[in-house]
Amino acid sequence: MSGQLLVFQVLNGIGIGMIYFLLSVGLTMIFGLMRFVNFAHGALYLVAAYAAYVVSQLTGTMLWALIAGPLVAAALAVVAERLLLRHTYAMPHEAQILITFAVALIVQESVILIFDPLAKNVPVPAFLSGIVFIGPFVYPAYRLAVVAVAAAVALLLWLVLERTRFGAILRAGSESSEMVSLLGIDVHRVFLAAFALGGALAGLAGALAAPLRGVEPFMGLEALGIAFVVVVVGGIGSFSGALLGGLLIGVVQSVMSSLWPEGARLMIYGAMALVLLTRPAGLMGRA
Amino acid sequence: MSAFREGGRFPDWSSAGVAVALLTLPFVLPTVTLASELVVFAIAALSCAFLLGMVGLLSFGQGLFFGIGAYVAGILLEQHHWATLPAVLLAAVAACLTAGLLGLLAVRQRGVYFVMLTLAFAQMGYFAMLALKQHTGGENGITGVPRAPLLSGLGPLAGPEAVYGLLAVVAFLAFLLVQRISASPFGSVLRSIRENEGRAEALGYDVRAYKVAAFALAGLVAGLAGAMHTIFLGFVPPNVIELEMSERLIIMSIIGGAGAPAAAFLGAGFYVLMADWLSTLWPRWLMLIGFMLAGIVLLMRDGLWGGAAALSRRLRMGRQTRG
Amino acid sequence: MMRRRTLFAAGAGLLAAPSLVRAQGAALPVAGVYSLSGTFANVGDLLNKGTQWAFEHYGSAAGQRINYTLLDDQGDPGRAVRRVQEAMGQGVKHIVGCTLSSIALPVAKEVHARGGVYIHMAGADEATGSECNRSSFRWPGASYTAINATARPFIQRNPNAKRWYTITGQYVFGDSLLTNLKAVLQEAGQQHLGNSYHSLSEREYSGYITAAIAAQPDVLAICNFGNQTLDVLRQAVSFGMKRNVKIVVPWSTGLDQFQAWGPDICEGVYFGVNYWHGVEAPGNSVLQQVVRAKTNAPTNYLQACGWAVAQMLVEGVNKAGNSEVPAVIRGLEGLAYEGPTGTETIRAADHQVLKDYYLMLGKARSAMRDPADFAEVVAATKAFQPPEQTGCRMS
Repeated sequence: MSGQLLVFQVLNGIGIGMIYFLLSVGLTMIFGLMRFVNFAHGALYLVAAYAAYVVSQLTGTMLWALIAGPLVAAALAVVAERLLLRHTYAMPHEAQILITFAVALIVQESVILIFDPLAKNVPVPAFLSGIVFIGPFVYPAYRLAVVAVAAAVALLLWLVLERTRFGAILRAGSESSEMVSLLGIDVHRVFLAAFALGGALAGLAGALAAPLRGVEPFMGLEALGIAFVVVVVGGIGSFSGALLGGLLIGVVQSVMSSLWPEGARLMIYGAMALVLLTRPAGLMGRA
Repeated sequence: MSAFREGGRFPDWSSAGVAVALLTLPFVLPTVTLASELVVFAIAALSCAFLLGMVGLLSFGQGLFFGIGAYVAGILLEQHHWATLPAVLLAAVAACLTAGLLGLLAVRQRGVYFVMLTLAFAQMGYFAMLALKQHTGGENGITGVPRAPLLSGLGPLAGPEAVYGLLAVVAFLAFLLVQRISASPFGSVLRSIRENEGRAEALGYDVRAYKVAAFALAGLVAGLAGAMHTIFLGFVPPNVIELEMSERLIIMSIIGGAGAPAAAFLGAGFYVLMADWLSTLWPRWLMLIGFMLAGIVLLMRDGLWGGAAALSRRLRMGRQTRG
Repeated sequence: MMRRRTLFAAGAGLLAAPSLVRAQGAALPVAGVYSLSGTFANVGDLLNKGTQWAFEHYGSAAGQRINYTLLDDQGDPGRAVRRVQEAMGQGVKHIVGCTLSSIALPVAKEVHARGGVYIHMAGADEATGSECNRSSFRWPGASYTAINATARPFIQRNPNAKRWYTITGQYVFGDSLLTNLKAVLQEAGQQHLGNSYHSLSEREYSGYITAAIAAQPDVLAICNFGNQTLDVLRQAVSFGMKRNVKIVVPWSTGLDQFQAWGPDICEGVYFGVNYWHGVEAPGNSVLQQVVRAKTNAPTNYLQACGWAVAQMLVEGVNKAGNSEVPAVIRGLEGLAYEGPTGTETIRAADHQVLKDYYLMLGKARSAMRDPADFAEVVAATKAFQPPEQTGCRMS
């Protein structure tokens, strides 16, 4: 593989990685703050992608889905939390895993029920359907736009976490939720807000991914798998970990597709296992 | 009643109940093949329930060991013409060894990290199966696995009834094994680890070694189930090692309740029958399973078995107070 | 065969599949094996409809009314085999359909072991190759056909496109497409620059596409199936590969995939399909009429496939004059009939249907005469491996 190709594979990997970051940052936040694994995270991504499909059918473009997708996903997250998850906080962690797993199953079957199981097409917005030249290589304009949006969201999120009161509570809560409640803050409302925010971010990832990947009922499963790997590698509860983990997994996937394409998937899950074994807090997480 | 959680006597009335159930199943159900499928998954769900109920380990990887058992048995029977019992034995041992090795790695973590490790292993197993498509048949699976004699020299397994007989015997032995362990000192140590790992450690038990042993044992049972699955079907479909299989086993053990070995049998039975029956009514029957799972987690922590136990307790108490 | 006595004999009917009428001379029970749930539910539903409508249309075969029942296997080969076992135990001997090769192959063995006849649409070469048997028949052409009916005419039309790059699914079917393609390329003196494998559940192809672009090929061949084909082509086009590379998709299901891609992606791309609704043929007209009456839309490959296997069974029974399995099998072997792609012949040596496989070229949006006119047929070839080379030992 030539040096030029390698450089471009890395750049391409960064592009993929930004999408993975958006997908995973919500999961890591929820994990860090509420200490449970949200198996329904893929379902949030899924409903937003279908929202993007509906939006593009109704209005001819998926641009409004950038708002509709996160809203729908956040709404689903809130409903799931109020109806089901709320009751499981006192239970051992298996209960939350299983409940969110059940939610994922229900959402998936509902989507098949409402739409049909065939893959649906969501066209790229017309003004982004071209390509951009980066040296001797080409890159789709839409993917570049996605990277830009992800970067903007990353910045915004960082500002929220570092500069706002809500962000401070979130960060404190992921260190110690008891301390936060001792300070007189209703921890459960913080949970709900964090869950909605995490859902909205997954929804944004879903809406953005719809023109790239097509929309079909089982896309949530793949997204969940990737999100798990990124969160584990990057570090549970760490925003910068989600960014670093996402970029790392994206680059590994892209470079592997030239070096050892058959093994790309195997390597990604192997990397997850390796991190879990050697440094379970992940690259940026606190032990 | 909650044999995993509280220990129990071995054997107890549930052993008799399971024996009776295994004997009558092919007559109660419309076909022997449905009964066979139920029994295979009962064994597999047992491995899940054992880990969860006794040691408190939620494993999303039991499908991996089920699949290893299925593929090893399939390869030995179809490509190397082994007899049935030796093939089953080697398949179960292969699954057990793999579980032991992976267990050595997996038990270094706890709680959610353990769950995610088993998930990662399950995914890796699936991609490894695809990579080894020379031996595993890739996405087509292995077809034409013959019904070999139990031991070389004997006649072949004569038809579905004989297969069911073999399955029932193996299921009962697996059940007794798990029940025996549950009632043994080894079992009590596992239980103490589930309740308070730190205390168990402080009492001087090598917690990790016990967990690895439990994991290997669960792998053995799952591998046994996988081998039985291959013999029952006569082929190895690729979905035996997919993540969906691990998820299915967990659903079965949760529905039944991870409280007792018999609960796993109940959960598997319920799921298999529901899947068979509901799917003819509504293709989206998985949604109902999802609701059921959520309902059980929220309302009936010990699953159907626990629900039945609570009901019988209440009836008994009612009779006592009225007495 | 005696019905098993059960405790809940009456209730057993509820637990088993919908009632299967025994063939008593009045009706011929036929079972279809399709997935209505699970990952391939999309495919299964349409296949089933095609079969159902065909049996409705024909109504009867050799004087017996056809009684069709669906066996939903939920995408699980184990369940498929069990359902088939149950059905055959209740007297059904005529089985059609499959959603996946991993279901068709074991079902074929089961039907053969129990003396039935099975007509299916699996894509795996083994179905009429190393796994062939006297009870099973297969309608669509598999990887040898797909490649030879696509690559050869393409090379003839594009003599200057000599450098090929392939993106291949790393599984049995993808590999067989690749192997066949490499053989054709070698024979035609073309250059195979390189190949990128990807795994079965891959969604992200940008890395493979980048490698393909870097190799600077004249042609990109996409060797996989299903949703993966959808994703690879969509992403390849988004990377602007159409500017200076010709893209060939040897294995496509045609209309439903064209609709998923849209005309802008399809334009200028070469597709290989087993069926196209725009082809003039008497069998196709019959099929289209029925489907249009039901859906007010043109027929897609899945509906056509479901129809074709049903039609084959009816033709076989009619030829035999009765529904006895050995007679039906003999009737099917060598039978020529008017199918969805024109005159189709069932080869006796391996039970493969010899039929046209089409090479199509995607049209510009402005050139589409109606919303389904995505591509035009530029070649129709019957390309099948000689039976001695398929590895089929008919038992």
